[in-house]
Amino acid sequence: MDDRWFEDFAVGESWTSPPRPVTAEDLAAFTRVSGDDHPLHAAPDAILQGPFGVAVAMGLLQGLGIHGDAVLGLLDTHWAYRRPVRVGDVLTLEVAIVRARRTSSGDRGVVTRAMALRNERGETVQEGTTAAMIAARSAGPDPVGRAFGTVGWAEALTDKVDLTDDLASWDGTLGLRSGDDEVHVRVYRGRVIEVARRSPRGATFTVGADAATWLELVEAPDNPFMRLAMAGRFTVTGDGYEYLRLTSVLHRLADAAREIA
Amino acid sequence: MRADYLSLGGALAFVEQHGDEGAPPVLCLHTAGQSGVQWRHVAPALAARGYRVVVPDLPGHGRSEPAPGGPVTDLGTYADWCLALVDRLGLERPAVVGCSIGGKIALDVAVRASDRLAAVVAMAADAHTGGRPSVRGLRRELSDVAAPSRTDRTYLGTLAVVGRDVPRERAELIATMHRREDPAVSTSDLLGWATHDLRDALPGITCPAHLVVGDDDLWLDVARVRAAAASVPGARCTVLAGIGHYPMEEVADFDAVLDGWLTELTAVTA
Repeated sequence: MDDRWFEDFAVGESWTSPPRPVTAEDLAAFTRVSGDDHPLHAAPDAILQGPFGVAVAMGLLQGLGIHGDAVLGLLDTHWAYRRPVRVGDVLTLEVAIVRARRTSSGDRGVVTRAMALRNERGETVQEGTTAAMIAARSAGPDPVGRAFGTVGWAEALTDKVDLTDDLASWDGTLGLRSGDDEVHVRVYRGRVIEVARRSPRGATFTVGADAATWLELVEAPDNPFMRLAMAGRFTVTGDGYEYLRLTSVLHRLADAAREIA
Repeated sequence: MRADYLSLGGALAFVEQHGDEGAPPVLCLHTAGQSGVQWRHVAPALAARGYRVVVPDLPGHGRSEPAPGGPVTDLGTYADWCLALVDRLGLERPAVVGCSIGGKIALDVAVRASDRLAAVVAMAADAHTGGRPSVRGLRRELSDVAAPSRTDRTYLGTLAVVGRDVPRERAELIATMHRREDPAVSTSDLLGWATHDLRDALPGITCPAHLVVGDDDLWLDVARVRAAAASVPGARCTVLAGIGHYPMEEVADFDAVLDGWLTELTAVTA
């Protein structure tokens, strides 16, 4: 297979592995590699769990989509164990590219995959994200439509929507966060006067979610912002009063985010 | 249709009636903060199917006067009020149908007076919410802190819990009409919703019962509704695909659906 460079990863690209049954050999190998012979892993009803869960997920299932000479290294893994995995379970791994961000050196970028391991009943047994450093083919520039939480994205967002009337009496700073990426939109009387990583006095409030949730926001058939907020998938820090006051503005920004994506 | 202002519980209650006085009565209850207008399409169509349909505005809602003691925060108060209305109108073995707080009130009416009911249909209701939404948050909402953009939040919040199969135009009409609430009353209703615990009482229901929930209803967990239904002897449970929190407003031809449920429920006892 050809090498895949940084530019070849598009946020939103997703795939699902073929189903793979968990075997007694998997359990034995897991126990040997982890050095963990706790009865949890050794009893007849043993479960495969613990710090090597992600290794199990990756080892059991093909098609992680990251391979070849362009891969410079694995950077991190954040992993959560939701339900036990047992011998006999049939697992499927769902993978989505949720973030692709060029580093300041320009010749490489970080690609983050969100992964969910599901059993034959469709239950999520393990999930998380993992990031890899991938060499770039060129020097950019990169598309901003799905670079959630960046200055370029917020500039495109605020160009797309006219909030002059909705924010006519407002003086403050909207914070928008995707994972660790946060951008501040400074507004004075309906005009966006600056888009920056950080405004001098900080955000009035910041509304944020993980990158996978932003992806869901832009890919859903209808604008799901309120649904996601009501379900606690978008959260807010800072001035909750001003956040509520700008409910319809945030809904319109979500519309704009969907348009530019 | 006839409409009356009845003196009930120390205040005037607005009550619509559709259909023959001698037909089997059905009492239809609305959701938090809303009014009988939610049943405007269903009520006449259901009456045409051979029912006496009674649609009240609960105290403080729609065209009814406020409850004398201020906004109601105990759904049991509404259940008592409904039974007083049944007495007042002389309804013989009515079926009680409600949605959201109306569904929970319907269950509570059945807890209090199963022997007087033909059946109960509780939509978008479970036995106990487990404290959702947060009582503290709701109390805060009753003061100014969370008041901004209230109507926007009601509008968008309603759209968020209407099912995916409901045409956009219908969903927007539902959400636009829901903006007509009195926030003090709807927030008090939700305090009643979040605190009313029927878990121990449901097994005492002896009339035929049917619990209904839409699988797009963010407010309800289907598993909890199934559990509530399982605790009512002989109760049925239906999950409506693509429907959200307001089946009587979302489902086209809901009168036919409800007629089917009521026919099944009353056949069980015949």
